[in-house]
Amino acid sequence: MAGDPVIHLIDDDGEVRAAIAFLLTSHGFAVRVYASAAVFLESIASAQPGCIVSDIRMPEISGLELLHRIKQLNLNLPIILITGHGDVPLAVDVMKAGAVDFLEKPFADEALIAAIGNAIDQFEAGVRRDEETAAIRERFNTLSAREREILGQLVAGLPNKVIAYELSISARTVEVHRASVMTKMRARSLSQLVRMALLALEFQ
Amino acid sequence: MQQSTALTAGEHLAPASPDHAATFASSASDRLAALVTSSDDAIIGKTLDGLVVDWNRGAEAIFGYGAAEMIGQPIAMLVPAGEADDIAPLLDRLKRGERIDHYETRRRRKDGAIIDVSLTISPIRDRDGRILGFSKVARDVTLLRRQRALVERSEAHLKSILETVPDAMVVFDAEGRIQSFSQTAQTLFGYRPEEAAGLNIDQLMAPQEREAHEAFMAWLAGAGQNLGIGQTRPVTARRHDGTLFPAELTIGEMRSTSGRLFTGFARDLTEKAENEKRLRDLQAELVHIARFTAMGEMASTLAHELNQPLTAIASYLNGCRRLLAASHDPQAEILSHAVERAADQALRAGEIIRRLRGFVRRGETERAATNLTVLIEEACALALLGAREHGVRVNFAFDNRERWVLVDKIQIQQVVLNLVRNAVEAMQDSAFRELTISTAVLKTDSVIVCVADTGPGISEAVAAQLFQPFVTTKRHGMGVGLSISRTIVEAHGGHLWMEPNPAGGTMFLFTIKGAPDGG
Repeated sequence: MAGDPVIHLIDDDGEVRAAIAFLLTSHGFAVRVYASAAVFLESIASAQPGCIVSDIRMPEISGLELLHRIKQLNLNLPIILITGHGDVPLAVDVMKAGAVDFLEKPFADEALIAAIGNAIDQFEAGVRRDEETAAIRERFNTLSAREREILGQLVAGLPNKVIAYELSISARTVEVHRASVMTKMRARSLSQLVRMALLALEFQ
Repeated sequence: MQQSTALTAGEHLAPASPDHAATFASSASDRLAALVTSSDDAIIGKTLDGLVVDWNRGAEAIFGYGAAEMIGQPIAMLVPAGEADDIAPLLDRLKRGERIDHYETRRRRKDGAIIDVSLTISPIRDRDGRILGFSKVARDVTLLRRQRALVERSEAHLKSILETVPDAMVVFDAEGRIQSFSQTAQTLFGYRPEEAAGLNIDQLMAPQEREAHEAFMAWLAGAGQNLGIGQTRPVTARRHDGTLFPAELTIGEMRSTSGRLFTGFARDLTEKAENEKRLRDLQAELVHIARFTAMGEMASTLAHELNQPLTAIASYLNGCRRLLAASHDPQAEILSHAVERAADQALRAGEIIRRLRGFVRRGETERAATNLTVLIEEACALALLGAREHGVRVNFAFDNRERWVLVDKIQIQQVVLNLVRNAVEAMQDSAFRELTISTAVLKTDSVIVCVADTGPGISEAVAAQLFQPFVTTKRHGMGVGLSISRTIVEAHGGHLWMEPNPAGGTMFLFTIKGAPDGG
């Protein structure tokens, strides 16, 4: 892995920002701080991988809106939102929008650390999924045109005989292509092959 | 008239000059003859068979026939052609010795015109009491009848008007006795017409109105000051069952040949009073909620402001504890313990604030899909009570794509009510008063609601702190309306703001999210 995940801390209150940064640093995390969501979004292209801890109530772009934008950009940056102003409807909105966790200020450090633990787990799962997807895509690219055609039919759930009829080739030929697809994709079963195909196609 | 005057004169003459009594008596038949001749009424003598024997000038004038034409002719020839001959039955009654008084019938003149006549017929007897013939006095009542019909018609007309007047109408005399009681009055006061007739007007008053009423009646009787005929005043009226109700009373006077009469028009104000009470209750509730919301807002602001430093304190302390855990200093354990306790206290302070907010918040609001148009119309109905009377023209411009919104209806109605009442108050001193309430569905699925007035507008200085609690331009106001409205709108995920009205005045706008499924 290219270094440990970084925690991007966003809060418009400088004192709070510094205090939380101090706390996280004392726990051994690498922390980057931002005075607003806008500042963070400006540097998002070069942002180091990791997760975000952001206040909700901020001028211009709120923490909730930041969450929506990150989801829209489809970035692997799990978000924990914190607020000094929490209520149940807000918490529901936040969790629905896909935050890892929602904490009310002031919070016990264990709660924040646990939330960050979850966020990093999510981040790493995301990284693994990305890597796996990339590997599958690589293998997918080695398939011939005919093999891709047959893979498509297999994903659609068609039996060999039907595929042979559809493509006007013999069932025997289909079996040969199918075995080749399984080998190239390194799939041990049809169901694994289908899962791989779906993952690869998702990003096509 | 002429007859009676002449007779009276004759009677007076007799005792005044006894010496002339004989002369007077001898000339009596002459005078009677003169009297008959000069009468405007037709005086006709008839035989038992109904043949005319006497026909005076009055008869000539009324029927158009001369004496020469009629004497010896049957009286029946005056009966209009085609109408039942009523002469024979009349003659039969007369022959039995009956007298016929003011019998009204129709007769035909010589020129063919049909006239209404009133007949008085009596038998003429000889000394032995045998009936010789009849004397008949006929009077042309055509004109009289026509006038009477006119009067009847105008009376019926008046009656029909009075019966349909929405106000209860009571006619009474100077002593307060009820002369007439309209249909509405019967319904309003709960008296049947026969119960009301002759009742004193004071029975319709609440006990506390008696004094004023007595003063009024005294004035009617000619003493005391004018208490305002034609003026309208609020009174408390009393129904038959003793219940009281607010009413508006207007008294009019009419003079007729039978004396002075007064008409009282009473209008039931119960509904108006109920509306006003409802509004007062609502305002009271609103003020109560306003205070509550203001407190909630204060607690919320306080919570945010205090939670920030508490977060910093707790974070620093927990960071320290973490660092101390890695230290090998013998004091580190004691310090770590103390720092942990301090961090706990910061969290405890946060908990106290949370509980305060929970206490102030009036439960979770209940949101449901609500038709925005209906919501606004209802709120405006309340907010605009009396506004039209103050010359405010009200326009509604609803986006016809009807929207359902997911809101706490009462809360959003409070916002609308606040904005509308503010707008009406703002226009109090304006020459042109137009209130426009409009909605527009936005692409983002939100709805924008706009309340625009044509008041004097809002100065920049005031605009800057418009939404601050306890800032007001009104003499009687807490200055919480707008800040609460904004809190409510924001709690619903919308925004509330002010813009100058391009047509002069001010516009307040707020957005509200549409309900997920639309209508």
